Amino acid sequence: MKIEVKNLRKEFGKTVAVDNISFSFDSGHIFGFVGPNGAGKTTTMRIISTIEEPTAGDVLLNGISVCEEPELARRAVGYVPDTLPAHADITIHEYLDFYARAYGLRGKKRTQAVEAIEEFTNVTGIRDKHLKALSKGMKQRVSLGRALVYDPDVLVLDEPAAGLDPRARVELRELLMLLAARKKAILISSHILTELTEICNGVVIIESGKILETGTIAEVLKKSAPRRTVAIRLLEGNHHQNPQLLKELLQTPFIENAREVVNEIHFDLTGDEAAACGILGELIAKKFKIIEFRQTKANLEDIFMNVTKGGVQ
Amino acid sequence: MNLAGIKSHFVNWREWELNPIVIKELRQGVRSWTVTGMLLLFLVVLFLTSLGFLMTQSFDVSPNLQLGGSMFSAFVIILAGASVFFIPLYTGVRVAAERHVNNPDLLYVTTLSPTRIIFGKFLCSAYIALLFFSACMPFMAFTNLLRGVDLPTVFFILFFLFLVVCTANMIAIFLACLPMSRPFKFLFVIYGIFQSFGVIGSLVGISFTMMRSGVGAMMTGRDFWIGTATAVAIGVMLAGLFFVLSVALITPPSANRALVVRIYLTAIWLLGGILSFGWVMQTGNADRMTAWTYPTFLIMMCALLVTISNSDQISQRVRRTIPQSRLKRVLAFAFFNGAAGGLVWVAMILATTFLLSRRILLAFPKSTVDSSAGYWFVTTTAYAFSYSLTALFIHRKFLSKHPPKLAGLFAVLLAGAWAIVPSIGLFFLNRLSWKSVEGLQLGNIFNVFAVRDENERHQHLLFAGVWLALMLALNAGWFLRQVKNFRPPPGAPPVLE
Repeated sequence: MKIEVKNLRKEFGKTVAVDNISFSFDSGHIFGFVGPNGAGKTTTMRIISTIEEPTAGDVLLNGISVCEEPELARRAVGYVPDTLPAHADITIHEYLDFYARAYGLRGKKRTQAVEAIEEFTNVTGIRDKHLKALSKGMKQRVSLGRALVYDPDVLVLDEPAAGLDPRARVELRELLMLLAARKKAILISSHILTELTEICNGVVIIESGKILETGTIAEVLKKSAPRRTVAIRLLEGNHHQNPQLLKELLQTPFIENAREVVNEIHFDLTGDEAAACGILGELIAKKFKIIEFRQTKANLEDIFMNVTKGGVQ
Repeated sequence: MNLAGIKSHFVNWREWELNPIVIKELRQGVRSWTVTGMLLLFLVVLFLTSLGFLMTQSFDVSPNLQLGGSMFSAFVIILAGASVFFIPLYTGVRVAAERHVNNPDLLYVTTLSPTRIIFGKFLCSAYIALLFFSACMPFMAFTNLLRGVDLPTVFFILFFLFLVVCTANMIAIFLACLPMSRPFKFLFVIYGIFQSFGVIGSLVGISFTMMRSGVGAMMTGRDFWIGTATAVAIGVMLAGLFFVLSVALITPPSANRALVVRIYLTAIWLLGGILSFGWVMQTGNADRMTAWTYPTFLIMMCALLVTISNSDQISQRVRRTIPQSRLKRVLAFAFFNGAAGGLVWVAMILATTFLLSRRILLAFPKSTVDSSAGYWFVTTTAYAFSYSLTALFIHRKFLSKHPPKLAGLFAVLLAGAWAIVPSIGLFFLNRLSWKSVEGLQLGNIFNVFAVRDENERHQHLLFAGVWLALMLALNAGWFLRQVKNFRPPPGAPPVLE
C-alpha cells in the first residue's frame, strides 16, 4: 500500500491550515508527523482518514482518491484521534463490537476479532466498563482497538501517546513496531520526539501548514543536524585534567564550542567519524585518562528545535 | 445489487444481522436516563390520570357510559405530547451531536453506507416510539372495557399517531443532518418545538373526531379506506422524502447525491399526478388536480434553490457512471449532480405539471380554478428561473472562487431585496400605502399574487419573460459547456488491493 499526499491544501475561512503539502510513505513503514501545535497535523490526518475534505489536492491510497472514493478509502484506513469521542452509556466491548459490525465483520469472525483486539490492547479484564469511566490512557487503548478491529492497511494515529504512562508508552511503541512488521503503513503524530526517533523510518516536519523537512530519519538528521556532539569523560579522580583537555581541544581542527558540562567535556565536531577517531588517538597519546568517548546523536527534538520557529495559525 | 446478489442475500439468511446502528443506539437508549426517565414519568402520568378518572367516577351516583372515551382522550393527549415532542427531539439532538460540523462522529467514516446509517437512526427512533406506545397500550385497551370507545378506534388512532411520530422523527433526523452551526440548529429546535404543539393539537382534534364517529362504524365505507390510504401514502411519501434528503446530506460530495433525490421526487410527482387524476375522474371535479399542482410548484421552487447551489464540477466517480449511449446520457444529464442538469429537471417537471393541469382543467368544466391561476404559475416560474439564472451568473462571473451554495443564497436575497427595497424607499418618502404595495412592482415575485388588473398582469409576464430570455442568453455558453462536458472519462478506475 502506497500513501501519497499530493499538494494538499485546507482552508478554514481565511486561515490556511494546510498549505500545499506533499509526501508519501509505504506499507511496513512508520512515518512520524511532527510540528508545533496548530501546524496542521491533525487536519492532514483527518483528511487522510476522510473526516475532512481538502480545499485542494488529494490523498491517494494505491491510486484511490480519498476525495473521490472516500467509502473505498475508509476500508483501508484506521484513524486514532487524539481524544476518544465521548460515548455515553456504552461499554468497551459494545463499542468495539459496534465498530466491528460497522466495518462489516459478521458472526464468529466478529467475535474473534473483537476478543483478539481486546487482548491485544490489554482491555479484556475491563471490557464491561463504561467508556465514560475510563482514564485517558485506557481510552487511548480503546481508540487504538477501534482502529485495529477491522485490520486496516493504513493506520493514522494522532498523538496516541498523549496521556499514557511510561509503561503504556513502551507497550504502544512495541505495538506499533509489531504492526509495521505486519506490513501496515503507519502515520503517527506525537510531541514525544525521542520516541518517534526510535520507531520511525521517516518523518515530516510541518509548521504553519507548510512542510519544513521530510525524508527518512537518517536523511533529515544529516540534512538538519550536520554537526555531531562528542562527550568525553575522564577516569574518576582525573577531573583536574579537564581545563587542560579543554585547552587542548580548542586548538584541535574540526572542533567547535568545547565546554565543560558537569564532569564531562562536550564539543561540536564538524568532521566525520575518521576525524573523531583521530582526535581520540591523539588525546590518548597525550596521556589523558579517557574512560568514555561518545558521540551524542542529534535526535528529532534537536532538529525540531532547529527547523521550527513555533509559528501557529 | 444484481439478481445473483439478491439470491445470495436470501440464501444466506442465517447471516442476516440487525443494523449495527440500531443495536448500538438501543443499547445506549435503554441505559440512558433520558429515555428511561421519560418513560417512567410517562407511566406515572398515565397511572395518575387513570387513578384520577376512576376516583372521580366512584363519587358519581349514575354510571358514566362515556368514561372509557374520556379516559382514552386524556391518554391520547398524553401519548401525543410525549411522543411527538420528546422522541423527535431526542433523536434529532443525538444525530445533531454526532454530525457536529467540525467533529463528526467516527461512525460516519466507517464502511456503513449513508442509507444504512439513516435507516438505523430512523429504526431506532421508531423502536423507542414503539416502547412508549406499548407502555400506553394496556391503559388504552383498558378504556375499551369502560365503554365510550371501540377497539378499532383505539388501534386506528394509535396507528396514525405512530405514523405521525415516525414522520416527525424522520424530519428531526433531516434537520439534524443539515450542515449548520450549533446556533442555527438551536433555532430549528425552537421552531420544531412550536411546530410540535401545532401537530399535537391537530392530532388530538382528529382523534376526537374519529372517536365521536367511531372507526368501527366507518370501516365498512369505501371512502374511509380511500381517505386512510391517502393519509398513509402522504405520511410515507413525506417520511421517504426526508429519508432520501438525509441520506444525500451525509453522502460524500463526490457521490451522485442528486440522483436518488431527483428520482424519488420524480416518482412521487408521477404517483401524485396519477392519484390526483384518478380523483378527478372519480368525482368529475377538476379542482382536485390542484392537490398535485400546488405542492409540485412549492417543492420545485425549493428544488430550484438547491439545484443552483450545486457545483458545476462533476467528480470522477460520477463521471464514470455517465452512460455512453447518447439517449441515456440526455436523461442522466437531468438527474445527475450539477446545476445545469438540475435546471433542466426542474423546468421539465414544472412545464409538464402546468401543461397537464391546464389540459385537465379545460377538459373538465366543473372547476372553480380561474385563469389567474395559470397566469401566476407561469409568471412566478419565469421570475424564479430569472432570479436563479441571475444568481448563477453573478456567482460564476464575480465569485467563482467561493462555494456554489452562494448562488442559492443570492437568488433568495435577490427575490427578498426586490420585494422589500421599493417598500422601504416608499416608506422613507412617506408614500408607503396598501395601494402602493398592491400596485405594479415589476420584478417582484410576490407582487404577482397581489396584482388584480389584467393589463398589469401582462406587464408582469412580459417583464419576467424578457428578464428570463436575457438570463438564458447570458448563461447559454455556460450551459452548453456543461452539456459538452457531461461525458464518461476514458480509462479504467484504480482498484484498492
